[in-house]
Amino acid sequence: MKNKKITTAAILATSFFLTACGGSGSGGDDSEGGTPPPAGSALNAGAGSPTGAEGSCGATTTGVNWDALMTEICPKLSDYNLFADATDPTTAPARGGVPYDLSTALFSDYTSKYRFIFVPEGKTISYNASEVLEFPVGTVITKTFALPENTAVRDGEELVIETRLLIHRSDGWFALPYYWSSDSDAVLAIAGKRLTDLTTINNQGQQITFDYSVPKAGDCSSCHSIVPNLSGSGDDREQIFLPIGPKARYLNKDYAYADGTVYNQLQFMAEGELLTGLPFDLQTVEKAPVFNDQVPVASLAPSQLDDAARAYLDINCAHCHRADLTLPTDYAGPAGSSGVQLEYNRDYADSPGKFGVCKTPVAGGKDGYPFDVIPGNAAESYLLFRMTTDDNRHKMPELARNTAHLEGTALIRSWIDQLPVASCSPVP
Amino acid sequence: MRQKVKLSKIFTISALASGLLLAGCGDDGDDGKDGKDGVAGEVGQSVVVSTTSGFAITEDAIFVAPDAVDGDDITEALSLALFDLSEDALVVLPKGRFVVTESIVVNSARGLTLSGHGINETILDFSTSNGDDAFRFQGGNGITVRDLGVYEAPKNGIKTTNVNGIHITYTATVWEGDLEANNGAYGLYPLKSQNVLMENNYAFGSADAGIYVGQSENIVVRNNTAKQNVAGIEIENSTMADVYNNIAVGNSGGILVFDLPGLDKAYGGNVRVFNNQAYNNNADNVGAGVVGMVPPGTGVLVLATSDVEIYNNQITDNETTAAAITSYLLVDDDVSSYAANYGATIANGWSPTLKNVYLHNNTIARNGANPRGALLAPVIGGYTSGMNSSGMAQTFPAILYGGIGELLSNTGTLGAFNGIVGPDAAADGVNYDPYGPGDLICANSNINGNAAPDYENVNTGLVYPTNPADLTLVDGDGNPQPHLLIDRMVNNTYLNCVQPRLAPAEVNFRNTIYGCTGDDLAEAACAL
Repeated sequence: MKNKKITTAAILATSFFLTACGGSGSGGDDSEGGTPPPAGSALNAGAGSPTGAEGSCGATTTGVNWDALMTEICPKLSDYNLFADATDPTTAPARGGVPYDLSTALFSDYTSKYRFIFVPEGKTISYNASEVLEFPVGTVITKTFALPENTAVRDGEELVIETRLLIHRSDGWFALPYYWSSDSDAVLAIAGKRLTDLTTINNQGQQITFDYSVPKAGDCSSCHSIVPNLSGSGDDREQIFLPIGPKARYLNKDYAYADGTVYNQLQFMAEGELLTGLPFDLQTVEKAPVFNDQVPVASLAPSQLDDAARAYLDINCAHCHRADLTLPTDYAGPAGSSGVQLEYNRDYADSPGKFGVCKTPVAGGKDGYPFDVIPGNAAESYLLFRMTTDDNRHKMPELARNTAHLEGTALIRSWIDQLPVASCSPVP
Repeated sequence: MRQKVKLSKIFTISALASGLLLAGCGDDGDDGKDGKDGVAGEVGQSVVVSTTSGFAITEDAIFVAPDAVDGDDITEALSLALFDLSEDALVVLPKGRFVVTESIVVNSARGLTLSGHGINETILDFSTSNGDDAFRFQGGNGITVRDLGVYEAPKNGIKTTNVNGIHITYTATVWEGDLEANNGAYGLYPLKSQNVLMENNYAFGSADAGIYVGQSENIVVRNNTAKQNVAGIEIENSTMADVYNNIAVGNSGGILVFDLPGLDKAYGGNVRVFNNQAYNNNADNVGAGVVGMVPPGTGVLVLATSDVEIYNNQITDNETTAAAITSYLLVDDDVSSYAANYGATIANGWSPTLKNVYLHNNTIARNGANPRGALLAPVIGGYTSGMNSSGMAQTFPAILYGGIGELLSNTGTLGAFNGIVGPDAAADGVNYDPYGPGDLICANSNINGNAAPDYENVNTGLVYPTNPADLTLVDGDGNPQPHLLIDRMVNNTYLNCVQPRLAPAEVNFRNTIYGCTGDDLAEAACAL
């Protein structure tokens, strides 16, 4: 494929990422971070902000091209001037950009993800205990997907594939996908892009080959929205587009910043005057465990296994498979109509059926998999089958996954096998 | 409401980038009106062409890949045309058979009309698609899909979720060839939607339901043909639905009304099925999940849905039964596990039992010739041998009522579930008390269409008696055993009661009322 861009990971960054992987295990202690960020000047001081005027993709700006972000659909990613080096969206954001990662992340075909939040100068993010943080109008979130040559060596050679933007405009969030069609820039890909026969070496040392889909712009709402439970003939409420990942529980972990600082991400943003409302006592902030391809599932204690599985199901499934709980009244995820709801906050003991336990599949189903989840019998659980198969008729999640996540499915397999026995469980 | 941004700019850019096939998008597209309701366009818009159903396509339409020829892949043009639409857009697909290689997702469209040139004139072939559903409309209101065919979708054909106002007409979803398990799932699939109007469509070959409306309200399904699907037409956990003037032929089950446990909209009701033809629904069931349990040879099946009226249908030549009415206990008889497995959904008002199902004035002929299906195997075995209340082998009942849910309600066995039912559901009348007169399952005035000498072989069967006083067969633990009661359908002793008629459904689509109280006021079926 000629449209590939090999980016050698910044050498500077290398050690930080190793630190992040190794040092932020399950116990990442909040109180013992490194040097706090400089006080007195907000992280987004000098970042500029939208003027309210109509933007121009061709405008020359010293920092982020805010006006273009607010009003224009630009043909090239570089038009928005989000990165110091327009050819590298993985590092060095323009002023106002803050990197972050998630303790447990959506699986996207083993790609590495480089995430930045850009908040206009003078604006702040508001803390939310359970839902996504409340980002002010003008916020831009960038996420760049790169497939490593070897998933065990995340700081090695990689293929930068796409950069997705979530832009908070005055009339709501707006998503745009950009595809790295050359080394020099990424181009708007409203209709998506399908890459065939990508390969990587997985953590087990096996070479795997699969197609990769850059989603269409229209696909974004499939996951990035909450939808109203239309409550009558005249109910005209619309779905609401939202980011998914940057929730307190996934940000509540240490991050190795480019200057060498290792610090809790929420605290970093709060002390950097970017985040307001963060509870003084971080112990009271929800925290999802770290799960990545290095976590040894077999050696997790039962409570750790349960916690990791619940976080994995939440971030991989519950953007759609959610209803009620901490959502606005009468809104649900796009699969809120499904019988399966998998939020991190849902009480398992209260309704195992919501997790698919002993639930007959409604839309779909497959011979040999009588129930979604059969405690003690992962092998015949339809939910695990759907996470494993590549058959479009059955696979889950519907988007972003074209190959099975061995480590993630191993986690869910172990979780199902250790769940409390239910009426559909095999008779011992 | 989100403003629409510079649609033309996207097209320009993309067209430059890929030289794709797209033309005719107006500069702003905001001027709105077109001939979207099947009548001529607004004054000032000249008609370019009419579809085979007579729908006028006006010059302000967005024409997707107008120069495409048979076999072209129009995925990119289609994706671009349906992204960030202006209100009231008319998007027109070209004439011919084209390839689409991805799922097409349309978000929050308002007043969109997506039209081809005719149900047989515009065919989109998804057989090589890398996606799952062919089309998915998420959110939005007042959306019309018409005059096109969607073939070989990997998963569902046309799915709409959380749309207020969805009108699908003169549209086909087809999986060609034999009915096989790896055909797609649902054909036409409105879910969690309001004001659903499905008419003049053709659904063929789904391994689940050809036309399926789920967890929706205010529904009219009329003048459709569902052929050779596992389920022809299915109304599931939906409220205020009229299903009339349809043909369900060659499916495993013709017309299904289901309430399944565990769904967000816990239960439906007020479903009227009338003046349909459900015949020869004898296909082998290749489905999975609950629909996979439907016995092949079933004309109409009501499962755990209360307040259903089935009348003036022609239900013929189905080899198992014309109409089966059953509680969910047929699917899962482990009553002791219900609280654990279904407690949450029972709290929300789902009930395994059904009440007030009324079958009348249906013409029932030549059913039951070869009853089958694992779910009914013991029941079939009893009726077709002498092991039933008559002591003689019988033609399998044309009207079959399970009765166990009613019996267990009347004996008080299910009474403990009353403690689980939440206040909202209880206020809506959900309970497990003994059945009162308004709760009864009734069948009367149905017409025996068999010719002599088979006239005598149209039966009504009750698997269990509903009156505890009639309970004579119990196992060692005192649990009721099937009694397999049977009598002639005409002038019978079973289900001999009358229920009040149900209210008609009404669809408000783009401020026009459809259905028996709307555009079909003069329709004969609506006077039945």
